[in-house]
Amino acid sequence: MTVTFPPPKAGVLRRNNVTLSGVVGARPMVFAHGFGCNQEMWRTVSPNFESDHRVVLFDAVGAGRSDIAAYDPVKYDSLHGYAADILELLEALDLEDVVFVGHSVAAMVGVLASIRDPSRFGALVLVGPSPRYLSDTESDYEGGYEQDDIEGMLDALDANYLGWSEAMAPLIMGNVERPELALELTESLCSVDPEIARHFARVTFLSDNRRDLGVVRTPTLVLQCADDVIAPTNVGRYVHEQIAGSRFVQLSATGHCPNLSAPEELTDSIRAYLR
Amino acid sequence: MTLFRAPSETEKDPTGEDFEALFEDAPCGYVTTTPDGTITRANRTFARWTGLDQQALIGTPFVDLLTPSTQLFYETRFTVVLNLSGEVREVTLAVRCADDTELPLLVNAVTFTGPDGQSGGIRTAIFDATERQDYERQLLSARRAAEASADRVRVLQDASSAFGIVTSAQELAEALVESVGPALLASNAAVLLSRGPEPLEMVTEDETIRELLNSGIRELAEQAIGSGEVVTVSNLDQAGALMPGLDDALHAQRLASLSIAPLRTDERAAGAIVCAFGRDRTFDDDTRQILAALSRQAGQVLRRVRLQEELAHRALHDQLTGLANRKLLQEQLDTAIAAAARSDRALSVVFVDLDGFKAVNDNLGHRVGDEVLVEVAERLRRVARAGDPVARYGGDEFVIVCEDADAASGEVIAERLREAVRRPLDSVPPRYSVAASIGVVSWESGSSKVPSADHLLRLADEAMYASKRGGRDRVSVTRT
Repeated sequence: MTVTFPPPKAGVLRRNNVTLSGVVGARPMVFAHGFGCNQEMWRTVSPNFESDHRVVLFDAVGAGRSDIAAYDPVKYDSLHGYAADILELLEALDLEDVVFVGHSVAAMVGVLASIRDPSRFGALVLVGPSPRYLSDTESDYEGGYEQDDIEGMLDALDANYLGWSEAMAPLIMGNVERPELALELTESLCSVDPEIARHFARVTFLSDNRRDLGVVRTPTLVLQCADDVIAPTNVGRYVHEQIAGSRFVQLSATGHCPNLSAPEELTDSIRAYLR
Repeated sequence: MTLFRAPSETEKDPTGEDFEALFEDAPCGYVTTTPDGTITRANRTFARWTGLDQQALIGTPFVDLLTPSTQLFYETRFTVVLNLSGEVREVTLAVRCADDTELPLLVNAVTFTGPDGQSGGIRTAIFDATERQDYERQLLSARRAAEASADRVRVLQDASSAFGIVTSAQELAEALVESVGPALLASNAAVLLSRGPEPLEMVTEDETIRELLNSGIRELAEQAIGSGEVVTVSNLDQAGALMPGLDDALHAQRLASLSIAPLRTDERAAGAIVCAFGRDRTFDDDTRQILAALSRQAGQVLRRVRLQEELAHRALHDQLTGLANRKLLQEQLDTAIAAAARSDRALSVVFVDLDGFKAVNDNLGHRVGDEVLVEVAERLRRVARAGDPVARYGGDEFVIVCEDADAASGEVIAERLREAVRRPLDSVPPRYSVAASIGVVSWESGSSKVPSADHLLRLADEAMYASKRGGRDRVSVTRT
């Protein structure tokens, strides 16, 4: 009997549901989504770079249309597991001088990957990064949250995933035509196995990567939104101060997801940095 | 029949006040925000529920009203789904009320288009989910407790069946790594064991933990064994405070926390299972209980296999000198003959009989005699080539099997052994001299048919007698 294994490249691309677009051979840009969604997060940002970049989108294992069977809870019990996947992906596509754009927790994943193998990275763009969401009184670090908040968030996750709440609240109707994405589709893309969601939330919100920032040698842009309760401005500034030579840009966009709420401003800021 | 009728005044504009009242005092809260979530209008019901001032709500970011826990959920999922699909259904959130209590909510939201065709904002309908929430909480915590205890039972059952079939400490260590590592989601796990007062040794393979042993992990393992308590290190700061430098060493290996559980048996053996994690970890009671139960079980198994190992060792070794006994020698010699025949290589067997031992034993007593035997055995072991089995054959007779050694090499080795034995002994006065009469038999594969172990031993014994007859303290070599 002959057993054929898929070539490693195809394996990685399928595992992470990699989508390629833009100009073959142009400078590669890899867009990495954060906790809670998938590559759809970049739908109004990444096309803006397709005219002069090779654009790479992917779903982290456990999210979107990634290979859920590849979810190894031991491997993904720390952000290093996700960072290893990024490096495999860059290797499979043989990308160099990569502009890595990471949103939220994916910003830290990019930081870890760039430390492990700086040779493939040309620039890091960190959108709403936080090296630690918990405050740490001993070092006067204000992450914004306490351990109990994180536990409560896990409760909220469970409550929302278990679907006990169905048809209890009055429905209201909007008047916006949304041809792009049906609600069901978004729901199915953004919702993952509740166990995985819980675990990813734990790993995301209970990690402490402050010590890694000082080791970054890749040119870095920190993009900070206004009124971001997840990654407050003091945290963005901290990231900037810890990464030598990094640039800090304050966006006027508010909230934690400028890739959704202010794609133009986000695009312009990244372009201005890469110019 | 009227086909077309102009709408009456009341139909076209039912009293604005009614609509206003319907909106303001609806049985649910209504909140309208700008696209980025700043409140532009909130109804009276919502203000009443939360105790917040209806006017002051305007201009406040909706997310600021939420409890920190649900803020995280709101920003990472709610707004994402709302942005991508224009609608969010049945999401549970909680707001912080004016009196600092938490109000659980069930929320539906849609985005709407403004008069200019641009996104106008978000409309949110809000339902008080207090009763629902209590019920869900109870279900949730019951479910968690059930899951946690099921997990615990499964891990312990798996470990029990894995431990049940182990026959050596090595196998036990491997089974322990297999069960504890995945149960705790440890990125690295290893077992350290020691026999009696010997230092801890790592018996399973893990390069990362091996590199960290001298950065404080060995010491922490000794602490755990000494106290019988699980030692945990939750983060790098703690690591650095416990053992200076351990934090940097862990960080260099992309690790952030540790758990070290002792395996205590008795004075004969001890050990520890070390787990390392790639992120900060708090070790809750469940985790500690699992660790403690596993290490207790493993400790009992370790005691059993150590005893078995000891019995097996005793059956094949001489109690006094620790050398192989006649039974083991037989096996080792059989193996060596087969290997020599297979690979066409020479084999020598060295037979050592002590000269002058009887006088020591008769005049100074058995105790001194025993000391002499122990000292001689130690010298033979030291002088023999590394890996060559040394056996106590009888009272004051020893046999050394030298693989891949022809007659010339056999003689060199024998001479070295002879020199080693005749040097003065610590345990006897100088007037008693002990020496060795040595016989060597060497067989070169292909020179004759494959000999039996007994045959070789007999020939070596005869050569030894030739040395005795020739005046003792000498080496005689014979070939077959």
